[in-house]
Amino acid sequence: MRKSVLILFARQVMGMAFKNKAVMALLGLTVILLIYAAYSGFTIYQQQSRSRQLYQQQVRADWEDMPDKHPHRMAHYGYIAFRTKHPLSFFDFGMESYTGNAVFLEAHRQNSVNFSEAGFSTGMLRFGEISIAMILQVLLPLVIFFIGFSTVAADRENGTLKILLSQGTSWQEIIVGKALGLLGIALCILLPVILLLIIGCFVLPEKKYIVDNVCRIGWLALSYICYAGIISLMAVLISSIAKTAKSALVSLIGIWLLFTVIMPRTAQAMGNYLHATPSRIEFETAIEKDLIKKGDSHDPNDPYYKALKDSILRLYKVDSVQQLPFNYSGFQMKEGEKISAQIYNRHLFALLRKYQQQNDVSRYSAFINPFAALRDLSMAMSGTDFRSYVQFQQQAERYRYQLAQHMNELQIKHISNKKPGEHDKPHSISSAFWKAFPDFEYKRTGQGTVLLQEFPALASLLCWLTLLTAITTILSKKLKAL
Amino acid sequence: MFLLLLKNFVRSRIVVTGLSIIMLAGMISIFIGRQHIEKIKSSIAKTEHYQRDHIQRNVQFFNKEMGLLLYYLRFGLVNEPPPLNALSIGQRDVNSSIQHVTIRNIENQLYDTDLFNPYSLLAGNLDFSFVLIYLFPLLIIAFTYNLLSEEKEGGTWRLVSAQHKRPAVIIFKKLAVRAAVIYTALTVLWALAAVLLSLPADNSFWAAVSLSFLYLLCWFAISFWVASLQKSSGANAVILLSAWLLMTVICPGMANNYITSQYPVPEALATVVKQREGYHEKWDMDKKITMDKFYEHYPQFNQYTLPNTEFSWLWYYAMQQMGDDEAQQEAGEMKAKLWQREIASRTISYFIPSMHTQYQLNTLAQSGLGNHLKFLDSTRQFHENKRLHFYPKIFSGADVTKEDWNYCKVETFTEKSPVTWMAMLVPLIIISSLLGAISWINFRKTPY
Repeated sequence: MRKSVLILFARQVMGMAFKNKAVMALLGLTVILLIYAAYSGFTIYQQQSRSRQLYQQQVRADWEDMPDKHPHRMAHYGYIAFRTKHPLSFFDFGMESYTGNAVFLEAHRQNSVNFSEAGFSTGMLRFGEISIAMILQVLLPLVIFFIGFSTVAADRENGTLKILLSQGTSWQEIIVGKALGLLGIALCILLPVILLLIIGCFVLPEKKYIVDNVCRIGWLALSYICYAGIISLMAVLISSIAKTAKSALVSLIGIWLLFTVIMPRTAQAMGNYLHATPSRIEFETAIEKDLIKKGDSHDPNDPYYKALKDSILRLYKVDSVQQLPFNYSGFQMKEGEKISAQIYNRHLFALLRKYQQQNDVSRYSAFINPFAALRDLSMAMSGTDFRSYVQFQQQAERYRYQLAQHMNELQIKHISNKKPGEHDKPHSISSAFWKAFPDFEYKRTGQGTVLLQEFPALASLLCWLTLLTAITTILSKKLKAL
Repeated sequence: MFLLLLKNFVRSRIVVTGLSIIMLAGMISIFIGRQHIEKIKSSIAKTEHYQRDHIQRNVQFFNKEMGLLLYYLRFGLVNEPPPLNALSIGQRDVNSSIQHVTIRNIENQLYDTDLFNPYSLLAGNLDFSFVLIYLFPLLIIAFTYNLLSEEKEGGTWRLVSAQHKRPAVIIFKKLAVRAAVIYTALTVLWALAAVLLSLPADNSFWAAVSLSFLYLLCWFAISFWVASLQKSSGANAVILLSAWLLMTVICPGMANNYITSQYPVPEALATVVKQREGYHEKWDMDKKITMDKFYEHYPQFNQYTLPNTEFSWLWYYAMQQMGDDEAQQEAGEMKAKLWQREIASRTISYFIPSMHTQYQLNTLAQSGLGNHLKFLDSTRQFHENKRLHFYPKIFSGADVTKEDWNYCKVETFTEKSPVTWMAMLVPLIIISSLLGAISWINFRKTPY
């Protein structure tokens, strides 16, 4: 392949496109949409982040302001954890609207993460939202297809192709050159967006994550450019196989619909069908059943807790819990919390595994659908994917467990074993203990780990690029000018 | 001539493939809808079973104090899905159709979500409304994008147009043939759905059927309009696909961003913080403050006075009540905000047939935000009834064993809203007729 010829073809494709009024209108519309998406994405990010930070601070202040009291009261007072938005979520909304945002953390009970945007929405939300990522993933390919369908097919129809080939240009040069031209058009849209992301990243106040964010943007840039390359090459290839420009257009539209509309839904529906998940009532009853099997702390004659009590009494050589040197009810609650958390987590992990299996159908469909690959990769890098959500849920649960157990330990150590009488003031300990307990802080996953987790998506993009290059080479030997 | 046009049309390959794809997708969607309904139905049955066991077990353990027992007891309320819900799953996959509440403060329990996989929500349900709103228009586009242009490009137009003094009539007839085929396919799917999902032939059923027919009529009108512009097949395809994109992706997407940013709901977070504070701070306050407020709310319980002990159930439930009472303003604001969202969605959707169809289908299928908000109201009422029933028993220290626990069955909420025919059908009729009229004028204006 001669470099000068490639550049010539690329220039010709871009020049033609930029002279065409319809194409310019389409590109103009895309840019307007991008601006709208960036604006509303940023507004939503700011509004939601602000109100969550505000309430997180209030929850902390209220916690520290609590007066002296019984630690178990504090365990029930509990904490509220708010999900922090990743700054890149303004670029790719991902699952943001479907995941819960606040969870009440208290002793004995694992509450659901509530207040998702989806729960606040009308059914219209299911049409999807407009984010920068969505425009680049769904609309940009269509624009490229609209421009690219005629690249070779039109030359064939008007006879230019014959002349080109007879002048010594190779098929490979034509295909690659024109694909590069389309990629050039795509880059005119992509590069400013990437620039915007980098600027945004430096403007943001949180400097702690700056290196991580820049790396994430780097991976995003790489995968979007790779995707644009796949789309451009695909458009030119279909255009060279098709007999007429019209049939190339129809095929490309068909491919686009299949990739972006039909396959994502079908793949997920298949996943849901193959791996059925329990309903909430089934999930909760199963946990309750396991808990009762292990030992029911509500039942005064429960054999498990009775045996526990007897063994402690034997160990300390006393005959009632009141004679123990520590608070027995705190001890029993600590044991109960440990058991219930273990059982809950076992069921939760099983459920999450089921979800993961459902999602794997979509994830691995990336090998036949480059759109799915980019969507997963982009969500993961923007911190708006399934894993980021589960990460939050699990960190919140870990915090809940620590809080409950810490309060139990305070009770064991500092609360008298003697029950106060009906008219006595309840036992209490100093409020300094609350202040000493750390705030909830969500820890993000580093981009390296995310990259490892999203390896299949990255691999599938590379596979697609290799495959299309191989097809170009093979077709170059077989294609005819007529 | 109609029969001839029909024969000519049905013989092409694209018709067979197109129809088989849509029938297959339609059947899968009905099957998915049935699965969805069955999952809810089985959850309801399990809830009834669970509630019986749950009450029995707890009554056995906590038979000394009514107050302690009611701390644990949970009562179920079901938002019964209508059979049509199978065709338009809507928000029923994210909002739970079953609520379980104790008589403790309600604001802490009301917003618990169902278990769901966010990835599935993002991908969207492959339900009948998807097939109708997304796929049927694509079929219409595939069948009609070259209505006039194929004749022109194939050189047959002069021959054909000579057969009628108004050639637009021929285009219209060609369109009518395609419409007949597509409407037949839709009718078959409706019949299948009616049988497989045992849909009753009531008002909402016929409303949903008319809605689907009129939505497709809009698309035929769009197609007729594009034909009237008399462009090449390629240009027609691009214009029609852009229209589809506008209707199913861009306009709804922009509307969603607008609603999310215009009506943010920080009140939700305020409610959860406030109700927790409202209840917990009372533990460290003078009991009189709590009790005065409680008696003010429920003057009928004035007769029950606090016993002379440090702890009493009367005080405890009065504190719980304060969680709700003090978060009332925030909760009310949140509710108002959500209704604003619902109304904004409805208003925007009048202008966009795809959104309108989805919105109205969800309303008929009782799977929209409006239905959920009414269910939340009904849960509040249900919870209040339980409180009013049990409060006097707790405060007077009634005997647990003497209570008739059979009274506590799972209850059902059913939304009963009449079908708003005008608001549902008129927007689609107006848009279709407008497009039809414009096309007719276009055809008359320009020579063929």
